[in-house]
Amino acid sequence: MSSESIHGYSDRISVSSGQRIRFMVSAEGGTSYRADIVRLIRGDTNPKGPGPKEELIETSISNEYPARYQPVYAGSHVLIDDPAQLLNLGIAITLHAFIMPTTAGKGAQGILARWDPELRMGWAMVIDEQRQLALWIGDGVGHSLRVAAPTPLLDNVWYSAGTSYDSSTGRAIIDLRPLVNSVNSLVGPVAILPAPITHETITQQIKFSAESQMVFAGWASGSSATGATIVDGHYNGKIDRPCVYARALGAAEFDALATGREAGGVGPIARWDFANEIASSSIASDKVTDTSGNNLNGRCINMPARGMTGHTWAGRSEHFIHAPAEYGAIHFHDDDLEDADWKPDFELEIADSMRSGAYAARLRIRDAIDYIPFFVRPVTARPTAKIAFLAPTASYMAYANEHMGVGAGIEAIIGRTAVVQQQDLYLYEHPELALSTYDVHSDGSGVCYSSRLRPIPNMRPNYRHETGSLWGFAADLDLVGWLEAKAYAYDVITDEDLHLEGTTLINSYKVVITGTHPEYYSSAMLDALETFLIAGGRLMYLGGNGFYWVTSYFPGKPHLIEVRKGEGGSRAWQARPGEYYHSTTGERGGVWRNRARPPQKLVGVGFAAQGFDYSSSYRRMPDSRDHDTRFIFDGVPDDELIGDFGLVGGGAAGHEVDRYDLSLGTPANARLVATSEGHSDSYQRVVEEILFTYPGAGGTQDPGVRADIVYFPTLGGGAVFSTGSIAWCGSLSHNNYDNNVSRITANVLDHFMADDRLPST
Amino acid sequence: MRETSAISDRGEVVFQMWYGRIREAIRSLLTTKIIAEHERDPLGNHSDALKRVLNLIRRTAPNGKYLLVCTRPFEQWRIARTSKVRGQAPTFVDDRSFDSEAKAMHAVFLMRIEELNRR
Repeated sequence: MSSESIHGYSDRISVSSGQRIRFMVSAEGGTSYRADIVRLIRGDTNPKGPGPKEELIETSISNEYPARYQPVYAGSHVLIDDPAQLLNLGIAITLHAFIMPTTAGKGAQGILARWDPELRMGWAMVIDEQRQLALWIGDGVGHSLRVAAPTPLLDNVWYSAGTSYDSSTGRAIIDLRPLVNSVNSLVGPVAILPAPITHETITQQIKFSAESQMVFAGWASGSSATGATIVDGHYNGKIDRPCVYARALGAAEFDALATGREAGGVGPIARWDFANEIASSSIASDKVTDTSGNNLNGRCINMPARGMTGHTWAGRSEHFIHAPAEYGAIHFHDDDLEDADWKPDFELEIADSMRSGAYAARLRIRDAIDYIPFFVRPVTARPTAKIAFLAPTASYMAYANEHMGVGAGIEAIIGRTAVVQQQDLYLYEHPELALSTYDVHSDGSGVCYSSRLRPIPNMRPNYRHETGSLWGFAADLDLVGWLEAKAYAYDVITDEDLHLEGTTLINSYKVVITGTHPEYYSSAMLDALETFLIAGGRLMYLGGNGFYWVTSYFPGKPHLIEVRKGEGGSRAWQARPGEYYHSTTGERGGVWRNRARPPQKLVGVGFAAQGFDYSSSYRRMPDSRDHDTRFIFDGVPDDELIGDFGLVGGGAAGHEVDRYDLSLGTPANARLVATSEGHSDSYQRVVEEILFTYPGAGGTQDPGVRADIVYFPTLGGGAVFSTGSIAWCGSLSHNNYDNNVSRITANVLDHFMADDRLPST
Repeated sequence: MRETSAISDRGEVVFQMWYGRIREAIRSLLTTKIIAEHERDPLGNHSDALKRVLNLIRRTAPNGKYLLVCTRPFEQWRIARTSKVRGQAPTFVDDRSFDSEAKAMHAVFLMRIEELNRR
């Protein structure tokens, strides 16, 4: 790879006239870089298609900027605010917490620490390099000690973990007790576990006062360019009810703490109860509360997972709001990231002349180039066109920086050798850019939060997916390119706007058009589309596997989504038992189908199968010849295959495909106007449709493996047109946009955007 | 293959036994006919015999997982093997480059066949 490198992100993804958007950039390999604003028309660089197209927009930000490297610090932890230095203990101390390590063997990691790693100064309860629970004490002037439990920690087992030290006697105690019930740990009570131990030793007498910041799940090692605390030694696993005493407890007192009782005598100087933030419906908070009365509160950095089962979880309640005391754990990961926290490089004010559309800040340093995409939307409730393209930004965030190309089983899943791009290689070499909801953390647990406040190399106009084809943002630019080529006037709005503003955002449009894979939907977004359709709105769903995963936006943090992959659904991981509910909204995660909102109820079709070897075509059905549906196929010969061409797998029906199904809520008046055929066995019936298993669930044998094109009117003059395939929009540009996929799309759009009533069924 | 005494997951012992059996069974399907079929179209709707071969080699990766790296968009692809360490990108397995994705995929297929045939 070349030495030049440039990457960036913006603080917003959707902006309107008069609003400002800031861009953060890291550039290497030169002294300056060039930035411009471009309007994106097409992204696909495939020489078989019309090619990429962008228009330079004159703005005040077009300029050369000084290049600087900006690092990213991944890993989640808690920072404790202690202005009065109450935790600057130097004589005697006890640290206790319930812990469930998940990668005890990964190297030294901090659990509770007020530790300067350079000076070896302060105190820390850690897991050491030998996967043992240990106490570190140091005075910063050459005296330090390390005392460790004699037995190593097991992964995924809950422990009561305590350490104490008294500098006046040199006595140090490590107290470690496995706390396994039938449900809280990987193994159950029948497993033979190491016996509880109280390891007591007399060692050096060291005063250990230090001015470091107290950290859970790591230790402070410095400050970043923006003044943030840099934390090293990140811990993987859960912590529950940590506390600090300003005196050294003994075995009997540890026994009391391990069983949830008070230690007796002077109470702790700080005791944190992570369940304290469990409100009536959610834990939409970064705060950590000290319940000792000393106000040593803290804040979570980089979104460790909350709403996670604690050491007392009994398995009868599955929602943290029903049994908050059993959900006192936070699960920390060394690869969590909420905000890259870079210094801004430049800021753009959106001019009135920037019409609504897809844009990007284009960054260049020598031969390296990056695009930071954003959308210009109209001012609220002031549409500038009859058509709105609803950019599925929640789905872009769910896939942001996915690592599936090197993931387990990818060849079998996609039915081909994965092919990766330069952007992927950069991601693989920079794990600090963090993960997507398609990945697992370094400890094997699923990634349930994704942020857009970081460089996202796989959300770029020229990006190609490991299937060798287009995906997400780049694929959706095929639709933008078609709207431009056909000279339709359109606005662009985003999922984030729809979530925050609801139907108000869309009720003045005649037609809303989705992207190719609008898979991630919040309750508010589904509600808004439903209300729009009931009130006479018209929706063109030109994609596949849409409206699928229950998705939450963190209230007040629109840059952050949460997805808990539950029981069922084509899922990269599955939430652990008791952890199906979203911390940020309290909603049950999983597929909408399991919450009584299958996609069929909204758009007539829902996820049926996926495969990525080749895409196929559709054949017209009898419903396509009725007087009320004929307009869809105007100019298309009766026996012509639909979409037996295209740039996404070579056909219009493919990748992920959806099916009409009355048993899942397709409205009875829906017309099935075309259906696909000829899929390979790489296309298997989706798992949520499998009750008993039996051979023959592939495309060559299963009649349910297909994409259906469905049309139906709704009350008040509204209507839905669904193509049920991710690949549809990849066929629009074929033969210079003169083809039956383009014609059908235009026929429907022309009718939907007209003020006239639609032919009624 | 590791000595079974060094393996703590007994499921791994079963996997090795299974892999030995299925590899024998699949070897009997490795004919010039199915190799030619794959070369014609690595992404087609394949014969049942080729599907059985692909199903095995796509779900097992005894010597690490292969993937293609597109080194020049729409012009050049190379074969790489994934690293098992986070933060380390896949490494190229050799100096060959291919002018089509299909040719590169077939080259990976031949490498996997060679692994299946290795004693």
